Amino acid sequence: MSTMGMSRNGLWEVSSRVIVYAAIGAALYAISAQFSMLIPGTASVSVRPGFAFVTFFGFAFGPVAGLFTGLVGNALADQISGWGLLTSWNWSVAAGVVGLLAGLTPSFLKSWMGTPSRMLAAAAVGPAVAVIVGYLIVISDIVLGTAENLNVVFADNYGPVVVSNVITVVILTPILVAAWQPIKEQLGR
Amino acid sequence: MNVAPRYLGRGSWLARRDPRVLILAIALFVFAVVQVWDGRLMVVLAVVAFLYYRTAGIPFRAVRYQWAYVLIFVGFIVTTNTIITGGELRGIDPRSVHTYFYLPLFGTPVSAESTSYAITQLLRFLSMAALGFPIAFAIGPSDIGPAFARLHVPDRFAYAIDLTFRFIPSLAGEMQTTIDAQRIRGYDYERVGRGPLGRIRRTVPVLVPVTINAIVGAEDTIDAMDLRCFGTGRRTWLRELVMDRTDRALLVGFALLFLLVTVLAFNGASNLWVFPFLIPG
Repeated sequence: MSTMGMSRNGLWEVSSRVIVYAAIGAALYAISAQFSMLIPGTASVSVRPGFAFVTFFGFAFGPVAGLFTGLVGNALADQISGWGLLTSWNWSVAAGVVGLLAGLTPSFLKSWMGTPSRMLAAAAVGPAVAVIVGYLIVISDIVLGTAENLNVVFADNYGPVVVSNVITVVILTPILVAAWQPIKEQLGR
Repeated sequence: MNVAPRYLGRGSWLARRDPRVLILAIALFVFAVVQVWDGRLMVVLAVVAFLYYRTAGIPFRAVRYQWAYVLIFVGFIVTTNTIITGGELRGIDPRSVHTYFYLPLFGTPVSAESTSYAITQLLRFLSMAALGFPIAFAIGPSDIGPAFARLHVPDRFAYAIDLTFRFIPSLAGEMQTTIDAQRIRGYDYERVGRGPLGRIRRTVPVLVPVTINAIVGAEDTIDAMDLRCFGTGRRTWLRELVMDRTDRALLVGFALLFLLVTVLAFNGASNLWVFPFLIPG
């Protein structure tokens, strides 16, 4: 039951398939979040390839799977690293919203995604927009005291994360979608 | 790669508590602590947090890397907040600050006020981390699902959380196996050069097979769940969770702490308090 061929009515269904895929997505994100790399020339901007799991699971299996992958995966990644499950809960919510928005992309672009190349383009653009919009939630850092003002939020939190995650999802989400598409047809999903 | 949940606090006082208490305790504590900028109250909250942490009986040796990560990350947040805000602090008149010196290049004033702010923020994050550690290390991995279900998280989501914890060790093992297999074929993830884009591309030979294998392998789990009529009725859990008197007392204690801090925050505890010993002269 992939969203890439799902009607809007079936988007919010929480079937056993969605539950298992969401759990796999969250586990993969939590594991792979341990591998990050600093972008040379910056103080804090690191690229996390694992973030592509959030947008891929949303794009391929629907907004519920995307939301769960981002929300629970991010919280678990923080927990594994020692930062704590709820210490930065608003960042987990932001990652969840990114997954949810990425999951809505195929439904909204369904009529446009007629060819494989267009579908891959949608798999790059939709998640990129989802990252830009979803991470606006981290502005709540000002209320929570992690950032003193908007300058800090945009210079230190939102800006670097959005740049690195957009780069990641634009490269990796279409690759994962392209790899999944033939398997999906083979499995008859 | 060992990212499997470790039950390091097994048998400790906190591990014997109902796991719901640990989850609710951190939620109440986090929402209490984010209201506080008064350093005196933050010291009290930090003491509470570390006493609570001590009852989890987590050996420091086993979590020293996690604590190192927390210290580095918190240090980074505090430093960047100080530098980027240029010494401007909420509720503090810039003309009344007690400046020690200005940071070279940035020109940011380092003052008694900004130092108090940094100390308070440091204590805040360390306290939150101290309450977070027991969730990772003092709850039996098999209790996570029932705990969320009994906290009225919808059954399917609670089960998904339970499944996530079950998948982590096997998928981590699979990822390590894939990395090893690709290394035999000449793959080197840690090779330097070609910038961040090249490094992202270098993750493809690992991420794609791991993801596709995991999804294909999940078909068995999905079939097993469907064959057992998963989701057709209300789910029951084999593990029964019952709160005893100590659990209730601990929970009431954290609820009272949250209420007390909220009241104090409305009466000035949400304003920055400058440690007197930091004021020169």
